Amino acid sequence: MDVNFRKIDIDAYDEDVLHESELYEADPRDPSQVLSEAKAKSASVRSLLSKNDISGALSAVLESAPYGPNVEEAKIVTLQTLLTIINTTKSTEISGVVKSLPQDDQDTLMKYLYKGMAMPGWGDISGSVLLGWHEKLTEVAGTGCIVRTMTDRRTV
Amino acid sequence: MSNVLRPYLAAVRSTLTAALTLENFPSQLVERHNKPEVECGTSKEVLLNPLMISRNENERVLIEPSVNSIRLSIKIKQADEIERILCHKFTRFMMQRAESFIVLRRKPVKGYDISFLITNTHTETMLKHKIVDFIIQFMEEVDKEISEMKLSLNSRARIVAESYLTAFNT
Repeated sequence: MDVNFRKIDIDAYDEDVLHESELYEADPRDPSQVLSEAKAKSASVRSLLSKNDISGALSAVLESAPYGPNVEEAKIVTLQTLLTIINTTKSTEISGVVKSLPQDDQDTLMKYLYKGMAMPGWGDISGSVLLGWHEKLTEVAGTGCIVRTMTDRRTV
Repeated sequence: MSNVLRPYLAAVRSTLTAALTLENFPSQLVERHNKPEVECGTSKEVLLNPLMISRNENERVLIEPSVNSIRLSIKIKQADEIERILCHKFTRFMMQRAESFIVLRRKPVKGYDISFLITNTHTETMLKHKIVDFIIQFMEEVDKEISEMKLSLNSRARIVAESYLTAFNT
C-alpha cells in the first residue's frame, strides 16, 4: 500500500496558514532602486570617510538599509560599505561613534555585526574587529539591542 | 590566552543572556503537547532569527532562539589531527552522559561539535545567570582541557617510544 500521503504536510494547505511574507511589512522600494541607492551610499560613505566623519558615514549607511527577500545584492553592497567603515575606525573612537547613533541605527548596526560574524572568512571580515564593535555596542545599547536583532523579521 | 578569548566570550554571554527569555508555550499543532519549538520548527512565527558569533572559521557559536527553547551549538577549535580526535572523544564522552548535564543535547547540530538545548523548564528551575555562567565556563575550559590532553598524550607517547626502543639499544 502506498503510504506516501502520510508525509504530506496538510497544515500548509490550511486556509489561515501563516506565510513568510505576513510576518513583516515588505520594503516598498523596487529591488533595482534599492541596489542603486546602496551603490550611491557606498560612494558617499567613501567621501565622508576621507573627511574622517565616521559617525556621519555610519548613519548614512544604516539609514533605510535594505531588507527582505530579492535584494541580496544590495545587502552585500551595504555590508561591504559598513565593513570598510568599521575596519578604518580606531578602537578608541568606537564608543563615541556608537553613542552618537539613534536607537534604530544602533539596532541595524547590531544586525550587520551579526551578519558579518555569520560569514567568517568572507571578504575582509575580521572576527576580532567585529567582536570589539559588538562589545562596545552592547555596553551602550544594552541587551535590548540584541533582543531586537533576534526578533526583528526584517533581516538585513 | 584569556585576553584574546575575552571579547568572544563576552559576545556569547550577552547574546545568550538576551536569548534566554523563555516562557511556557504549548504546541500549536498537537493538543496537550509541549515541545521545544526550536527542535520541531513547525510554526515559524515562534522561531527567532538565529545568531552566529565567530572568532574565525574554526571557532564559532550558533544561537537559535525560539519562544520556549534555545539551541546553542559550539564549534571547538581543532588545529590538527590529534586535536580533532581528542575533541571528538571528549564531546562524545559528555554527550553519552547528557542527562547528568541536563541542558546538553545528545547530538550536535550538523557542522558543530557540541550542542546545548535550554528550555523554559530549565530557566524556571535553575538560575538564568548560572546557566549562562556554566556555558561560558564550559567554553573556557574545553580549549584548555584539549590542549592539556594533547600535551600529556605527546609526552606519554615519547616515554612509550623511548622505553620500547631501549630494547634494541643493547
